[in-house]
Amino acid sequence: MNGLTQLTDETFVLNLGPQHPATHGVLRVKLVMDGEWIVKAEPVLGYIHRMHEKMGENRTFAQFMPNTGRMDYLGALFYNHGYCCAVERAAGIEVPERAEWIRVITAELNRISSHLLWFGAFVLDLGGFTPLLYAFDDREIILDLLESVTGSRLTYCYFRFGGVYNDIDDSFIEGTRAFIKRMRGRMPMYHDLVTGNIIMRKRLEGIGPISQEMVRRYGATGPVARGSGINFDVRRHEPYSVYPELDFKVPVYHECDSMARYMVRMDEIEESMRIVEQGLDRLPEGPVMAAKAPKIIKPAKGDYYHAVEAARGSFGVRIVSDGTNTPYRLKLRSPTFSNLSLFGEACEGMLLADALALMGSLDLVIPEIDR
Amino acid sequence: MGTENVHPPIVQLSTVDKVLALGRANSLWPMTFGLACCAIEMMATGAARFDLARFGAEVFRPSPRQCDVMIVAGTISKKMYPAVKTLYDQMPEPKWVIAMGNCAISGGPFVFEGQYGIIEGADKFLPVDIYIPGCPPRPEALIEGILELEEKLTGSRRWPRVKAG
Amino acid sequence: MLDTIKAKLAALSPENISEPVYKEKGFVLDVQVAPEGVVAAAETLSAEGFFLEAITGVDWIDDNQLEAVYDYNHMASFCRVVVRTRCDRATPEVPTISEVYPGADWHERETHDFFGIKFLGHPNLEPLLLPEDADFHPLLKDFKP
Repeated sequence: MNGLTQLTDETFVLNLGPQHPATHGVLRVKLVMDGEWIVKAEPVLGYIHRMHEKMGENRTFAQFMPNTGRMDYLGALFYNHGYCCAVERAAGIEVPERAEWIRVITAELNRISSHLLWFGAFVLDLGGFTPLLYAFDDREIILDLLESVTGSRLTYCYFRFGGVYNDIDDSFIEGTRAFIKRMRGRMPMYHDLVTGNIIMRKRLEGIGPISQEMVRRYGATGPVARGSGINFDVRRHEPYSVYPELDFKVPVYHECDSMARYMVRMDEIEESMRIVEQGLDRLPEGPVMAAKAPKIIKPAKGDYYHAVEAARGSFGVRIVSDGTNTPYRLKLRSPTFSNLSLFGEACEGMLLADALALMGSLDLVIPEIDR
Repeated sequence: MGTENVHPPIVQLSTVDKVLALGRANSLWPMTFGLACCAIEMMATGAARFDLARFGAEVFRPSPRQCDVMIVAGTISKKMYPAVKTLYDQMPEPKWVIAMGNCAISGGPFVFEGQYGIIEGADKFLPVDIYIPGCPPRPEALIEGILELEEKLTGSRRWPRVKAG
Repeated sequence: MLDTIKAKLAALSPENISEPVYKEKGFVLDVQVAPEGVVAAAETLSAEGFFLEAITGVDWIDDNQLEAVYDYNHMASFCRVVVRTRCDRATPEVPTISEVYPGADWHERETHDFFGIKFLGHPNLEPLLLPEDADFHPLLKDFKP
């Protein structure tokens, strides 16, 4: 490890993980410490490498769908969406209107549940246990709604090439409206309990500054980029599905610190609720599956790319096809991979506790990095 | 498995053993060993709706020295395997292992011809007491697994079995 | 944006440069360079404010070549540029772009893990996702575990 060359008599190597309550999965970080200050940090990955890209080459396009739910299990519908859109682009499949709206409604509900879990886990890292319980309570309602439609609580495999496999019914629509009403009432409580808390403010304001140039050089996307003042959201940048017809703001904060990233995600929960409401109001009638969706997908030779805005950033799928029914190469561009790569440079000279606040504000899901 | 490596006491008092077993069963302290997706269901089981605290098991300790039961929740990769073994060895006796989820039981959905990266199941190197199938298993399934472990320790089940339907 | 970057990249004399249809492919500019040209392409793109999205490897076993594919994009206005390069399968060597883009550090380590492409000048080409002592490259088409 390069950092070992910086060891002097006063520094020591501290191993954080791979089993640690604050690393959100199996991440190991080798820290060269000078007392409480970090001299150099080096994340070590690969402890949950589950060979998704190799499996992509061994399976047909349809057989790979369950894998997409297991990479970022908190925002599984986004991965479903990205993969389906990439295959639909490659094979030229059109998706009916109603299916597009259902995809957006369920995906934005998934964004809310992912951000709620991030919120609970982040405050838990900093030492506060109560918001986790409140956040999980709200999240359970979303999980119930999505379970009634998709069949699973966590690792969804709901989208299909050409639409979705199950239509939503009135009980889902009523339940979602009731949830949004309840959640709107809960958000002021979260802001009172956590955002306004003096301890949170002291632990997050000014901590973990990530400049715009650092974001660009490392390719960080999502709330990490938007917390540094860069207005980059794939839903506006490269519109897909029905996002061009929706009215929502993209929250951008300019302070570049952990508090900014926190506020971006809290505002995104509000915006996602607005999107879901608009979706429910404007949901058209019609089929949920393309009538002429081919049973066997054989894209033409060449490579194709599609990106979606997942809960953590820009998730991209690159399919290299050789004309057969299995991909020749399937590359999954995971947002957290690029987000975490700046951790080494960003936390030099910080206190260890501040580095954990920075790590929490990056919103890591390690299986998404290791794929 | 739990008490097999412990030397039996010279003076055996069966009633005390029964009380000890009851105590151990109703206050299992799990280790926070979530590796992948099953970890989220483990967190949900500890949270407010499903509430593992009712059964005495809500104290998730990160340090293996303070735990009784290791809930292996998630896929064990070949790179992680030495760490898992070390953590298991560091737990004091009596200890138990619950394999939660398909990946910990047999490798789960990641077993394919030519796989190079995962260990196909926790029982390849750990003595597993309870298997909880599912991908991921519901929180109710994890609670049922903990109750099965309690039954294994004490010989009887204090909580009624829930009938399906 | 597209015309500016196309002109600047064409000035580096790539092997091939084309503009695919976005709706079909997902990117708007496709540039094929020799392995030595990736650094100049990266510097040109970085000067214009592009960021690196991903680096991918592809094993073309029938052509006996390994391909490295670089995806770049711009945050202010969409412009996805793909830079490709092919190298010999027996001795795959491509210069590193981690001086220009520090984020490429991890992407190149991952590509080296999966395909064995050596990135010349990389500060730390250790395995990233595979175990530290791994000596195999699993995504090659003739890999047997």
